[in-house]
Amino acid sequence: MRRMRGLRLAAGALALGLGLTACGGSDSGTGSGGSTQASTPASELKIGLAYDIGGRGDQSFNDSAARGLDKAKSEFGVDIKELEAAAGETDAQKEDRLRQLAEGGYTTVIAVGYAYATALAKVAPDYAEVKFALIDSTDAKGANIENLVFAEQEGSFLVGVAAALKSTTGKLGFVGGVNTPLIQKFEVGFTAGAKAAKPDATVEVKYLTQPPDFTGFNDPAKGETAANGMFDAGVDVVYAAAGGSGNGVFKAAKAKGKLGIGVDSDQYNLPALAEVKDVIMTSMIKKVDTAVYDFIVSVKDGKFTAGEKVYDLKAGGVDYSTSGGKVDDIKAQIDDYKAKISSGEIKVSSTK
Amino acid sequence: MPTEPAAGGEPAPAVELSGITKRFPGVTANSDVNITVRAGTVHALVGENGAGKSTLMKILYGMQQPDEGQIRIGGVPTAFGSPADAIKAGIGMVHQHFMLADNLTVLENVVLGSEPRAGVRLDFRAARERIREISAAYSLNVDPDRVVDDLGVGERQRVEILKVLYRGARTLILDEPTAVLVPQEVDELFGNLRELKAEGLTIVFISHKLDEVLSVADDITVMRRGTTVASVSPREVTSRQLAELMVGSALPVPELRDSTVTDRPVLTVTGLTVTGADGRTVLDGLSFTIHAGEVLGIAGVEGNGQAELVEALMGIRTPTAGTVRLGGENITRASTRHRREAGIGYVPEDRHRQGVLLEATLWENRVLGHQTRRPSSRGALLDLKGAKADTERIVRDYDVRTPGIGVHASALSGGNQQKLIVGREMSADPVLLIASHPTRGVDVGAQAAIWEHIRRARAEHLAVLLISADLDELIGMSDTLAVILRGRLVADYDPSTVTPEQLGSAMTGAGRED
Amino acid sequence: MGRFSPRSLLLGLAAPLGALAFAVLVCAVILGVTGHSPLDTVDAMVSAAQRPRTFVNSLNSATTYYLAAVAVAIGFKMKLFNIGVDGQYRLAAMLSAALAGATFMEGLPSFLRVALTVVAAMLVGAGWAGVAALLKVTRGVSEVISTIMLNAIATYLVSYLLNPARLAEDRPGSNNVGTRPIDGGGQVAGLEIPGSSSQLFGLVFLAALVGFGYWFVLARTRFGFELKATGLSESAAVASGVSVKKMVLVSMLLSGAVAGLVGMPQLLGSSYSYSLDFPPGIGFIGIAVALLGRNHPVGMALAALLWGFLDNSSNSLDVAGVPREIVGIMQGVIVLSVVVAYELVRRYRVRAEQRDVGTALGRTKTAEEASA
Repeated sequence: MRRMRGLRLAAGALALGLGLTACGGSDSGTGSGGSTQASTPASELKIGLAYDIGGRGDQSFNDSAARGLDKAKSEFGVDIKELEAAAGETDAQKEDRLRQLAEGGYTTVIAVGYAYATALAKVAPDYAEVKFALIDSTDAKGANIENLVFAEQEGSFLVGVAAALKSTTGKLGFVGGVNTPLIQKFEVGFTAGAKAAKPDATVEVKYLTQPPDFTGFNDPAKGETAANGMFDAGVDVVYAAAGGSGNGVFKAAKAKGKLGIGVDSDQYNLPALAEVKDVIMTSMIKKVDTAVYDFIVSVKDGKFTAGEKVYDLKAGGVDYSTSGGKVDDIKAQIDDYKAKISSGEIKVSSTK
Repeated sequence: MPTEPAAGGEPAPAVELSGITKRFPGVTANSDVNITVRAGTVHALVGENGAGKSTLMKILYGMQQPDEGQIRIGGVPTAFGSPADAIKAGIGMVHQHFMLADNLTVLENVVLGSEPRAGVRLDFRAARERIREISAAYSLNVDPDRVVDDLGVGERQRVEILKVLYRGARTLILDEPTAVLVPQEVDELFGNLRELKAEGLTIVFISHKLDEVLSVADDITVMRRGTTVASVSPREVTSRQLAELMVGSALPVPELRDSTVTDRPVLTVTGLTVTGADGRTVLDGLSFTIHAGEVLGIAGVEGNGQAELVEALMGIRTPTAGTVRLGGENITRASTRHRREAGIGYVPEDRHRQGVLLEATLWENRVLGHQTRRPSSRGALLDLKGAKADTERIVRDYDVRTPGIGVHASALSGGNQQKLIVGREMSADPVLLIASHPTRGVDVGAQAAIWEHIRRARAEHLAVLLISADLDELIGMSDTLAVILRGRLVADYDPSTVTPEQLGSAMTGAGRED
Repeated sequence: MGRFSPRSLLLGLAAPLGALAFAVLVCAVILGVTGHSPLDTVDAMVSAAQRPRTFVNSLNSATTYYLAAVAVAIGFKMKLFNIGVDGQYRLAAMLSAALAGATFMEGLPSFLRVALTVVAAMLVGAGWAGVAALLKVTRGVSEVISTIMLNAIATYLVSYLLNPARLAEDRPGSNNVGTRPIDGGGQVAGLEIPGSSSQLFGLVFLAALVGFGYWFVLARTRFGFELKATGLSESAAVASGVSVKKMVLVSMLLSGAVAGLVGMPQLLGSSYSYSLDFPPGIGFIGIAVALLGRNHPVGMALAALLWGFLDNSSNSLDVAGVPREIVGIMQGVIVLSVVVAYELVRRYRVRAEQRDVGTALGRTKTAEEASA
């Protein structure tokens, strides 16, 4: 909805520029406010969701959270309100966003992304009756905060194993969206997995942008350039931990007959990536949608628990995908590592 | 263009302007202008700067449209929407500032904008032939294959004329054509104009140099304050009468009274050499001395090193060799600020580039160049009160026509801006005044006032370096005269005996013995 | 001078107000065409304006925007385009945050700590801008190009330094990385505003002081005069004894020093640490604000307030179902139209003044005289 409104706005501006005025009033029924109060008499649950920059429609992290929300909405018809962060905003603006949700009667509030930690730490104590979820960060703690964190390095380890086993040159690539500690966890896990499977494997690493420039998560052209450089240097499998920029990585892989690895969702099945799906050998799945859905269910059932909830491999919070059948031949080996990590036999570090 | 016979049997006038009025917001540039230009004559349009001549010619050339009035070409009422219309009607304009591309040949410049085509290909051969024909027909002596950069000023002007003829003009407008020429070149130009006239072409000649007008024109129209005030025949008026028609009052004359020259040197320049950005020597070993109470006039065709000399003296340009001493002090390497503080006043040649800040108030312009000294500042702080009070004084003493000192300089006429500059430079009690074209573009009253201020300061032992294109001003205002040519001082003259023709010869190098 | 003042003021206000009105109109039409109610939008904005928290947040944003605008305006005044305010403040904020949070600082008296932090930020900002100034003065490199490059380099430099192995501290589980938080003694206390959960930045007074200093230097000092003169006409300034190279150097350093201050209110009043979510892009907002405020100390303050309010009302718009993108469109249209509006007003002013001169002198001036 968020994205659609944006698009409609742009279309409107365009139509205006062309002197067309005929597209007015084309309300497609999505509702301008995202409010569906009337249709949810069964539930009293009012859920507010504050996205990170990019919001719904980012083909990545935010979309994953949105899927969890959508699932909850379709199953028990909750009343939802979605707000989105703007690039370059301050903590005060994030704080204001959370407060507006809390003040608006949204008693279940999900803050998507670690950037909300500082703001949430200030807001949560003022609204004891509101249950908050904070994704990807343990920085804000409180009696009414559940911290939903993921073991991205473990999932990345598995696709690292897969990449090393599939590679013929022994040269692998990692394209990170933005050089942040979060994405570094993907890199570290991937490299560890690759080395575990093939000790002489090398990983070429490239981050598309440096913070505070977060465009690296949404710049397919940069992703394509970076991947092309790697493929030209002999790399034959690239792990794209770069949000929307991954599209460019897959495009490059397809053009050069190489392989790519997706991230966050099972990207093989994403309609937006249908054209390049045959080069996506697997994806590292980070189940933000599950975490969001679980959180909503726990609040609905009155089973909310404050504190850290780790979505690791063992808990099924991260995983690798098999859609497309490209890793069927090595599935046994990957699952072997999976079992070892789950049992604690292999510990995957999250930092270099 | 066909010239239809009018009722009286005489050919219709080539150009007839009647009741032309043109207003700009807040300003009426032309009001009720009436001019009749007979076909096959040289018609001079004279008037002071700002009398409305240029606006009128822009209207005739289609660059601007009149609010009222009528234009008849060959007796036919016409309206020009653009210069293209005017060109189609046989009117051509030779601008004061040449519009030629330096690195192209004459041929290319002439055909630029009206490229001769043979199919899709440019047909240069035919164009070259036509240029030769035109050149021969009017004795323009233009070689189509020379690069414009290599041509002298007079030749460039002839290329401009040829360009206009090439486009089929039968009536030529020449905007101040002699402003950039030395006397000998002026004579050549007039020869060309007579040729053109003999071939039946009509010429409208804009000028404020009256002797020239009297020698070349068949008819004269005088403009003053945006309107035509008289139409006279050159046989019936003297240069002085014409001038008084132009200004509407009696004329000032540049002249110095008794000599005030002392033997105390103020500015001593020895072997001053300046190299341009391209490595060319633009000033070549200049040496001269100006004493207290002395005005040294420098004559020369523009572009022979005057600008570089002034900039070297002001510390804007670094000399490659030579020394400059002010009084006893060697200031060859001193900063511009130091020189100004040491007592050099500066009236620049281009007041908009160097003299004023157009988008600043008059009092801020008073501070300009004097920002380190009283009454403009005290230490690091500006003295707003002092600066404003002193600006009021300059406005009063130098008759700067303004409603107040808070207006922007851009609101003033050029003459009033110049008076402000002269007043500012004089008010710091300079020991040396460097004045480049101090009366260029100012009205007669202001001209007299500026001369008077220079004379008075000279009597109080001011040393003056005067650079001017106005030879009468140079001869009248200087104690000593020197001619600059290609970066060298080539001749000294006694202003009490020299004639403009002698100066002109020296300026072009014609009179040199070496 | 006095007789021209009322009109000057009116003309000064005409352009920004005209641009604002035009932008509102454009936004209203866009909203209407896309099926949103412009009235709802106004309603949401009005209710946002009435919320004390939004008010305080707007003021806080305006504080940083204003500092950025002044930094930009110092350059603009002499036709120097310091596009690098963004990189300068980010680098300055990062390094001074590392300094302020360092353990050895904790023993120092509070005032000294804050002063050291602020001075360090100014020095870093000035130093970073100084690189561009030196390149321009010695090599003739356009400051536009060099400051853009320096912005990119600053980004990489900050990324490099913002690492637990260097100037950042490890924060397990946060997925964020930042400098060691500044403890109470190094912070600048905010002002409690009734009804608001946010505090007003204590450093709002620093911004006011900077604004006053900017005005004073430009209007009352020789240096300011030379700065303006250089901006109006470099050739005239040179002929008047101004060393343009020195002016470029000094004004760039000053601009950079003020740019260094941009991050201070946020750092010392709210974030207490430079981390990944420290607000970027304020340098570019500063350009827009300086443009809108016409480099005028009061004009920029009003423009900064407007900008701050627009930014901080976007959550309210979002809640009300009005696309928050409308704020960006509005800001964009304001900047574009204000440039046009200023040029129109400037031309009108020139003509009006010439007319005044003509009337005062009792005759109609000819056009040639006016343009001579």
